[in-house]
Amino acid sequence: MKMKKLRADVLALLFLLPFLIVYCLFTIWPMVKGVQMTFYKWTLIKKMGYIGWDNYRNVIHDKEVWQALWHSAIFVVLSTPTMIVLGILLALIANRKSVLQKFYRSIFFIPSILSVAVASYLGLFVFQPYTGLVNSALHLVHILPENTEIFWLTETGLAWITVTLVTLWWTVGFNFILYLSAMQEIPDEVYEASKLDGANDNQIFWRITIPYLAPITKMITMLQIIASFKVFMQIYIITGGGPLDKTRPIIQLIYQTGFKKNNLGYAATMSYVLFIVLLVLSALQYWINNRKRGDL
Amino acid sequence: MKKRSFGFMLLTLLLSFSVVLSACGNSGGGGNASSGGNESSSNSGNGSNAASGNAGDASDSGGEKVTLSFWTLFDGGDGDNMQALVDEFNKTHPNIQVKNTKLVYAEYYTKLITAVGNGNGPDIGISHASRLPDLIDQGVATDLNAAAEAAGVDWSTFNQNLLSADTVDGVHYAVPIDTHPFIMYYNKALLKQAGLLGDDGKPVMEQSEDGFMNFLKTLKEKLPSKITPFALSNANDDPYRFWWALYSQQGGNDVISDDLKSADIDKDKGIKAADFIQKLYTQGYIKKNDPDFYKNFQSGTAAIMMTGVWATGTWESTKGLEFGAMPIPKIFDQEATWGDSHTIILPTTSKEDPAKRKAAMVFANWVADNGQIWAKAGHIPSKPSVFEKPEFKAMPYRSDYVSVADTVKFSKQSTKTQQIRDNVSYKYLNEVWANKMTPADAMDKMQTDIQKVLND
Repeated sequence: MKMKKLRADVLALLFLLPFLIVYCLFTIWPMVKGVQMTFYKWTLIKKMGYIGWDNYRNVIHDKEVWQALWHSAIFVVLSTPTMIVLGILLALIANRKSVLQKFYRSIFFIPSILSVAVASYLGLFVFQPYTGLVNSALHLVHILPENTEIFWLTETGLAWITVTLVTLWWTVGFNFILYLSAMQEIPDEVYEASKLDGANDNQIFWRITIPYLAPITKMITMLQIIASFKVFMQIYIITGGGPLDKTRPIIQLIYQTGFKKNNLGYAATMSYVLFIVLLVLSALQYWINNRKRGDL
Repeated sequence: MKKRSFGFMLLTLLLSFSVVLSACGNSGGGGNASSGGNESSSNSGNGSNAASGNAGDASDSGGEKVTLSFWTLFDGGDGDNMQALVDEFNKTHPNIQVKNTKLVYAEYYTKLITAVGNGNGPDIGISHASRLPDLIDQGVATDLNAAAEAAGVDWSTFNQNLLSADTVDGVHYAVPIDTHPFIMYYNKALLKQAGLLGDDGKPVMEQSEDGFMNFLKTLKEKLPSKITPFALSNANDDPYRFWWALYSQQGGNDVISDDLKSADIDKDKGIKAADFIQKLYTQGYIKKNDPDFYKNFQSGTAAIMMTGVWATGTWESTKGLEFGAMPIPKIFDQEATWGDSHTIILPTTSKEDPAKRKAAMVFANWVADNGQIWAKAGHIPSKPSVFEKPEFKAMPYRSDYVSVADTVKFSKQSTKTQQIRDNVSYKYLNEVWANKMTPADAMDKMQTDIQKVLND
């Protein structure tokens, strides 16, 4: 029996090997190398010298790093709840029986297939002053007086809204698909039974649909927080981190430090700080979920 | 279910492809024209370039055939012109074959540095003069003196102002092929309408602070309100270049000290220059947050604009645009402007091959000699002798601004030039242009942050 199990394990390993080799080479090894880099002064092309914990000490006292982390956190706070609520709303619309069902599913999901550059440039054209869609539309319905413009991209608050809206439009399709499939998993009998008991739509939604969606919501929240913390490209293209670096997320700072300031060691250190933040958040979420389950 | 979801996927894919395609079509022409250094777009054809194929060079490199890899960062019109130069060179030099690899500008330096670092760099590369000190410091750009001597390069045939930007302690690190200074363009039809075009086809403007302001004031009063008197972006490169020009016109000498170790802004001059430009924004001469100031000028809705000479080729290929080009007006004490220069470097290779290095220098010198091809995009050739060539003289506009090559105020040879510009100067000056910071505050903050960059 034991022999048989061992054989199965070896066989499994054999099949896993091709993936494992690539995974180790391109994911695990760079991570180890990254840790090594944090202890050196390391430029784009060469290792300069061991500097111990200096990089870590500098990160702790570096205001720019904490500001950038804060900006990423702002984006998480702005994007995560909106992403979940909109995901549920769209799934509700697409889940209703209607001739337009297929149409809804397609149009809600399509933006997710665009590349970040295309999505961001579309956002840029929509929100830019004078010729942008939003300002032009506002002029058309006379909400915005002639000769005044809203500068969506260069005022800090508006820039955050713009970036969030573009990201929302671009990526909500993924959450929508997850919610839609979760909704289709909810057994019809439960709905039928509730209707027989005289529940109205409102009650059905809050008492049945939402509780059934709880597990997937937990998962989406976690994925969304991690994804939002890693925000970079759309902000880089739309605002460039401006005005005055007030929308610059941590990844942009890491990129600038590594590739523009030629200081890969310090950039690697920042990456590990972000890694630790994400690790703590994931652990916290895991712990909260498990505790709740224990209570039941 | 399975079947349905497959159909759904297919539909999604089809629809999304169409979205992707149409999106590409829209975004292609946009871009922020103010970014980067040389995105001159669409220069019409390469036409007949009748290069005076220096036949002597061909026999220079002996019987051996040498193949050289060449990495460039040019696209659009620049990319086409460089390819034309390479093709012409290969045709006239049977013993030297140059292979041109076009890299994306935004990634060029990172790729060059890493490739050279692990021994896979090209035989020939391009560098901006402002990036050269950094490349020398990192061991990417090499000493050219020996190779130049072997190839018979005569350094005295180059514009000396340009050459000095590529030389450190008598060692040549690069062969300049052009300079691309910041200049002024004007729309002749609009200036005429405002009564500001002289009989010689040049703007009627007194070259002084008040003179320039009055010029803009008249433009604003005389032209319809839809017309922008002065097209300029509201952030980053071009307003910074204008600030640099005006700062230098007062005798400002870069923002760092001569020993390159400390931040050294001449505060009063910096404030005066920034204040002058800020007024252009606040008094409505420059359109606020103009999303595309190139387009603004190109479509004939702006009277004047300022940017690098690389725009000349673009304006030339624009139908119905009657424009003129001239140096930045002398608004303060002396003529000066911002400028950078494209140079050819020989990156460090894992195995040094004198024959290849000599051949590479033959190529570099030949490119400089044939600057009339390169000048199509608008650049000023690095050898004054090119100005006398009939092909160069036949091209309009260029001769109106070749004199600028002598008044370009290059940045000092610091390895931090790029960083200071991108991470400090742009940041605070942008705030000044947006009227969210006073010029005095900006100078103080720049001084502090530049010191921080230099200490790193």
